Amino acid sequence: MSSKRINPTILVIIMLGIGLQITFAHSVSTNIVVIFVTCLYLCYCKASGKLLILTSLYAFPLALGSWWSFIMFGTGDVWHTAWIYASRVYAYLYLGAIVTLTVSVKNILLSLSLHLKLSSTFVYGLLASFNLLGRIKHQYKTIRYSAMMRGTTYHFWNPSLYLRVIIVALNWSQDLAEAMTSQGFTEGAARTLTYKDNLPKWQWCLATFLILLYFVFSFLVRPW
Amino acid sequence: MSISLKVEDLTFTYSIDSKPIFERLNFELPLNSFNLLIGPSGSGKSTIFKLMAGLYPQYSGIKNNGRILLNGQEIADIVPFERARHVAMLFQNPSRQFAMKTVFEQLVFALENIQYPAHLIEKRATEVLKKSNLWQFKDRILQTLSGGEQQRVALATVLVLDSSIIFLDEPFANIDNVSRLVILNELKQLQLTQHKTIFISDHDISNYNGLVDHLYEIKLSSQNLVELPLTELAKLPAQTKVTQKNLPDNAVFSWHNLSFHIGQRLLLSPNSLNIPKGYVGLLSGDNGIGKSTLFAAFSHQKKYSGNVLYNGKSSEKIRLRNWARTVANIFQNSSDQFIKLHADEELDFSQSNSLHSEYWTAQRIQDAVNKLDLIQVLKHVNYQLSGGQQKKLQALIILIMSQPVMLFDEPFAGLDLNSLENLLMLIKQTTKDLGLSTLIISHQRRGVVEHIDYELLMDEQTIKRLGEF
Repeated sequence: MSSKRINPTILVIIMLGIGLQITFAHSVSTNIVVIFVTCLYLCYCKASGKLLILTSLYAFPLALGSWWSFIMFGTGDVWHTAWIYASRVYAYLYLGAIVTLTVSVKNILLSLSLHLKLSSTFVYGLLASFNLLGRIKHQYKTIRYSAMMRGTTYHFWNPSLYLRVIIVALNWSQDLAEAMTSQGFTEGAARTLTYKDNLPKWQWCLATFLILLYFVFSFLVRPW
Repeated sequence: MSISLKVEDLTFTYSIDSKPIFERLNFELPLNSFNLLIGPSGSGKSTIFKLMAGLYPQYSGIKNNGRILLNGQEIADIVPFERARHVAMLFQNPSRQFAMKTVFEQLVFALENIQYPAHLIEKRATEVLKKSNLWQFKDRILQTLSGGEQQRVALATVLVLDSSIIFLDEPFANIDNVSRLVILNELKQLQLTQHKTIFISDHDISNYNGLVDHLYEIKLSSQNLVELPLTELAKLPAQTKVTQKNLPDNAVFSWHNLSFHIGQRLLLSPNSLNIPKGYVGLLSGDNGIGKSTLFAAFSHQKKYSGNVLYNGKSSEKIRLRNWARTVANIFQNSSDQFIKLHADEELDFSQSNSLHSEYWTAQRIQDAVNKLDLIQVLKHVNYQLSGGQQKKLQALIILIMSQPVMLFDEPFAGLDLNSLENLLMLIKQTTKDLGLSTLIISHQRRGVVEHIDYELLMDEQTIKRLGEF
């Protein structure tokens, strides 16, 4: 990982620290600043433009929906409230994107276990299930096809389809847990960690600074 | 370091109200030796291995009595990272034993678990991958490897842990004979040069003669492990070939210029062939050559170019729902086939939807169930059946459906010779009676080829009918 990038742990802290405040802040301008700054960082990291545009498009109906409902049914300063809620959707989205689009799931989880002592059972359980996601998608198709071979159709709204997916996933998790145990994985025990990342002190300062800065502006200065 | 593994007076059951699988079992694993465990499917081969590897009763079942001692200490009480240095295991289901994404990450994960020194991990993983001839797979994504390749990676994971006792639970179910021999010899070398103790369970006893020091069998009658004389291994009939027959030219299922890729790799270059109606064919070929993918293409589960034809009409425009009533794919992984929870529900469901309900009368189904020895497990949950019982149930529920084209992918994996013969006879009878076109992928040739009508070989991106070219 390039040392000029922000450490995944710091990114998660920034995401949570600012994201939580956004929920209570009543300022359009700070939301826009968040969107702007996170977009800059995403460009700097050369995050996938296609994914970014795609997620932005997905979020559009949500933003429009909340904007429109405040304009139509809101009370008080409806324009201000409408824009707060609309911009909030995108502020959340890009805050999330600085974590998910610039670092792999594996590095996020390992970094959190290294710096924030996240339990390794949690980390490797999640990692294993992420690695199985492709199989689960495939399994969904297989189950539908097996049903067809037996002369019945499972439509995507059919609960028995998901029941089957869950049963299969449970079976996998049992097999996987047995295999991991036999490979020496022990819940709560120490393990060697070969994952290394760079977390200079200034990045902790950066996170604190950004979170405080956001706090001061959105709750004390409170611009429009 | 001296090590011992002993089972004393063990009684084990899966649930309180069922009969114990083992009763008062006593066994001591001979060290620095190569051991083979045989026994009919469902007799408890996986169970005894998982017990001796310390995984049961933690993950399943109840130990009513007795002890399993690793170096004099109850094995279930030893923490997994300690245990893994002594005892490791290779599982029946190749794809479900990996926590990580790539081959290299998987080996590193195992080493981290046993607290191997950080600075030596990369070196150790590299060394084992090179020794196992898996170096070129280093960065491959595990879930995209073939069953055989996955099993080789799983073996490398066990080797990297350097455990002294290695259990291998039906490890060759999805591996072709060439790789199987390579791995067997590799295991023998590990035993001879590194003093490992190897314990394999296998339904197929061919090629073990001369390798094995001790042969064991689970006796269902006494629920115990008995040692058999090694001469049992030499009693095998000679490997037979499919006898060429003149088959009628009555094909209803064929393909024209069929070809497909996996990723960048071409698996089949344009190929045209047909298969006769009312006969059972064997599709052979090496591991990873694309046999399962061919079945996936036939059943419209995988994109291809060219045409798959039924009754001379191309099938590509046919809706999957209807095509699934023409071509049935009996998956390598049995549990993928099940759509109900219990064995008897599966049978009832097939019976009511069968394309040949006049043939599959209640009596005929009953006979088939008896023949396949599934009678005691009808009320059981599918997933809790043994690997072999799942295979038999899976094959039966699709046979009852009786699609005109039947594609069986490794239906005999994990079956003992007796079960195998009964299942194969049932497949053959149904194929003949109903005029189906049946094709079977089977690495296991013994006990199979003598009943096969023709053989297709998949090799070098082509498929040809043996004896014709």
